[in-house]
Amino acid sequence: MRLDTTQRQWLMISVAILAVSLGVYVPYALTAPKGPTGGSFLGLLFGIAGFAFMLFAAALGARKRVPTWRIGRAQTWMRGHLWLGFLALPLILFHGGFHFGGTLTRILMWLLIITVASGVFGAALQNYLPGMMTKDVPLETIYGEIAHVRRLLREEADHAMESLCGPLGFTYKSEDAGQRAGGFTAMRALTATTVALRTSAAVSAGASVATAVAAAPEIILLNDEQSAPLRRFYCSELRPYLEQPNRRGSRLRDAGRARNSFTAVRTLIPPSAHPTVADLEDICDEARQLSLQERMHHWLHGWLLVHIPLSLALILLGAVHAVMALRY
Amino acid sequence: MARTRTTKKLAQRIDLNYFKRPTRWKRAKLWISLLLPAIALIWIGWHFATRDSRVYSSGRLSEPHAVFEAQCAACHVQQAGSFSAGAANSACLACHDGPIHHAEQTKMPNCAECHVEHRGKINLSAASNQSCASCHSDLRANGGSAHYASDIRSFEDGHPQFALLKEGARDPGTIKLNHSLHMKAIRRAPGGPNVQLNCSDCHRSVATWDKTPWAYQDAKYVTAKVSYGYAESYQAMGSSGLTPRAPSSGRELMMPVRFATSCASCHLLTFDKRFDEGVPHDKPEVIHTFLMKKLSDYIAAHPSELHEMQDPARDLTGKPLPPRMRTLTAPQWVQEKVAVAEELLSHKTCAQCHQMTQQALPDTGIARWAPNAPKYMTNSGKQMHLPDPAVLKLVPIPGVAPANTTLRWLPHSKFDHAAHTGFTCTSCHEKARSSTESSDILIPGIATCKTCHAPGPNHAESRCFECHTYHDWSQRKEVKPSFILPALKRGGD
Repeated sequence: MRLDTTQRQWLMISVAILAVSLGVYVPYALTAPKGPTGGSFLGLLFGIAGFAFMLFAAALGARKRVPTWRIGRAQTWMRGHLWLGFLALPLILFHGGFHFGGTLTRILMWLLIITVASGVFGAALQNYLPGMMTKDVPLETIYGEIAHVRRLLREEADHAMESLCGPLGFTYKSEDAGQRAGGFTAMRALTATTVALRTSAAVSAGASVATAVAAAPEIILLNDEQSAPLRRFYCSELRPYLEQPNRRGSRLRDAGRARNSFTAVRTLIPPSAHPTVADLEDICDEARQLSLQERMHHWLHGWLLVHIPLSLALILLGAVHAVMALRY
Repeated sequence: MARTRTTKKLAQRIDLNYFKRPTRWKRAKLWISLLLPAIALIWIGWHFATRDSRVYSSGRLSEPHAVFEAQCAACHVQQAGSFSAGAANSACLACHDGPIHHAEQTKMPNCAECHVEHRGKINLSAASNQSCASCHSDLRANGGSAHYASDIRSFEDGHPQFALLKEGARDPGTIKLNHSLHMKAIRRAPGGPNVQLNCSDCHRSVATWDKTPWAYQDAKYVTAKVSYGYAESYQAMGSSGLTPRAPSSGRELMMPVRFATSCASCHLLTFDKRFDEGVPHDKPEVIHTFLMKKLSDYIAAHPSELHEMQDPARDLTGKPLPPRMRTLTAPQWVQEKVAVAEELLSHKTCAQCHQMTQQALPDTGIARWAPNAPKYMTNSGKQMHLPDPAVLKLVPIPGVAPANTTLRWLPHSKFDHAAHTGFTCTSCHEKARSSTESSDILIPGIATCKTCHAPGPNHAESRCFECHTYHDWSQRKEVKPSFILPALKRGGD
């Protein structure tokens, strides 16, 4: 969710709530004989309000699980989660008079601080990263399909190489053998091997992968001597990179260095093979973008691994604290 | 031909059921979201199952109560049929007798209202200003109005000037001392050198009384026993001040100045040229006895002095007078010399520092054999001439007003000189440099205290407890011990 001018109303409401809370807290803290404590009337009031905000923020998870619930707009829930969840922190600090207390309360305070901080961090990331992703990853795909698309790219590259240099001895799983990564030159004449191209119509009709592909002929353009530099480059650099794009040490991870590598390869092979090299470079570039997308996705959603579990623990222990605090 | 991408081609590579397969991240999120609350639940459940309530504590206990960390029920007493188990006064009073503040107080706060526990290693007796202000900001008293300022919220807000420094207040002490004179270089004794006194030459605390030698003491007076006591020397402390709990270190207040240690070296109590030694620094009756004995012994050893020639041998115009001789009996001689010595002492030596009473003493006419020596009123009210020994016996002995020295100037607060030992005396008692009257009160005012004692950083503590105590510990009652040490160390509620 972007923090833009459409959130001004929520911002104003939040600032107003914070200002009122501060206006109540400061005189209370200055005049309370025992100092501000969670057990005083105002302390309890702050605690109840803070916990209510936390519960509301946590309810977003339930709301997302059942999107068909017609309880307010998803956008309103998200904004409420963002702003009221953030307000929970100052209210709980006012509740405890900025004391972290004993074991349970200290754990609760740190859980709250980390939860709110991770939420703020996540909100900031979600404000900037989608824009960056659109700009830097034009070939973005669905995150869950990245591994699958990456495999298709690898196979596409293998086929491109085999079309130039002859069989390289790569094997594929049967279900993947017929798919291409989506950008290959399906019009190019091919021989020797059958390259599968799955059509969306076939997939829609429920055809199996094996039957949903169309055969395409391939030809071999280069002899062994001509193709040796390309084969060497492909087997030692490009294919390992396509297999493990996140492995450190590969120069193909860097766009500039990759461009130089491909330029160098072009000088070593006949011009007739250059279009295929261009395809390989394109595949490499797409694989690199997918890696970048993967990293951005991890940043974009990784904070949730902290935010959600801690918030659940916070709610749970907060409820225990509420009951036991009433006792003592 | 270069690679071409179309939406169709891009869509073809996507498995349309991808959303049904959870990604690694989603699985991790799910498991962590289950695992962490489960761990939290197990953790709190374990504490609950083992009846370990420490985990619910709102903070660490203060050091004196740290032994109760595992024994919540020692203070948190659950009432029958109630879920709540708040800290009970009875639990506090089981170990501490908290004497009341004033018999007239209208409100009796709970212990925990002022002594806030679970705040870590704090001074539990350091109650907040608000605790005090809850009564003192609008002070009322049972059975009448309060005797004190009724609108005090803190030291810096509403605290009046110290009562003893209010307009027109005077030092009730009767000892005459010109502080200004003694703060400058001063002649030590008749014909002696000039000396510069230090404050500590006269003013010391109990604990430092004998730490260093007294520069102006007289050993004879130091070791001498005196017959005057507390009542003749010091002002009654009064009963309005509350006794603090902490024992005195002996360095808090200054001891009253003693003649033997601070004055005797300069202020000689000599009374007759025949003797080098002075009279005792004691009550007039003791001095009188001393003089009688001293002069009796002397005349017994020097009977020739009973025959006296008048001196001077000239009248006031300078005309030579014929010598006048007289012969006295020993009692007459003693009585007369005692009278002369007492006249000297009471009119000059003692009167220099003390307020003398019963000033109707023989004047120098006694020593001048004046034929028309004035009559004096005897104790029996009869007018008689001197130097009739019969009359001399009846002349009242001069009286010395009680010194009435104030021992504690601020009876409602505690002050510790030791805590201020880094400062020169006159940086607080600045009036000592200019005071010429012994009735001047040289205690610094509240403004001097506020120089350092103020809220905020770079200032010393200024909360009420710094100077005042709540419980009157002189009213303390002993409590019956109830805890057994090994049991305290075990947890459980």
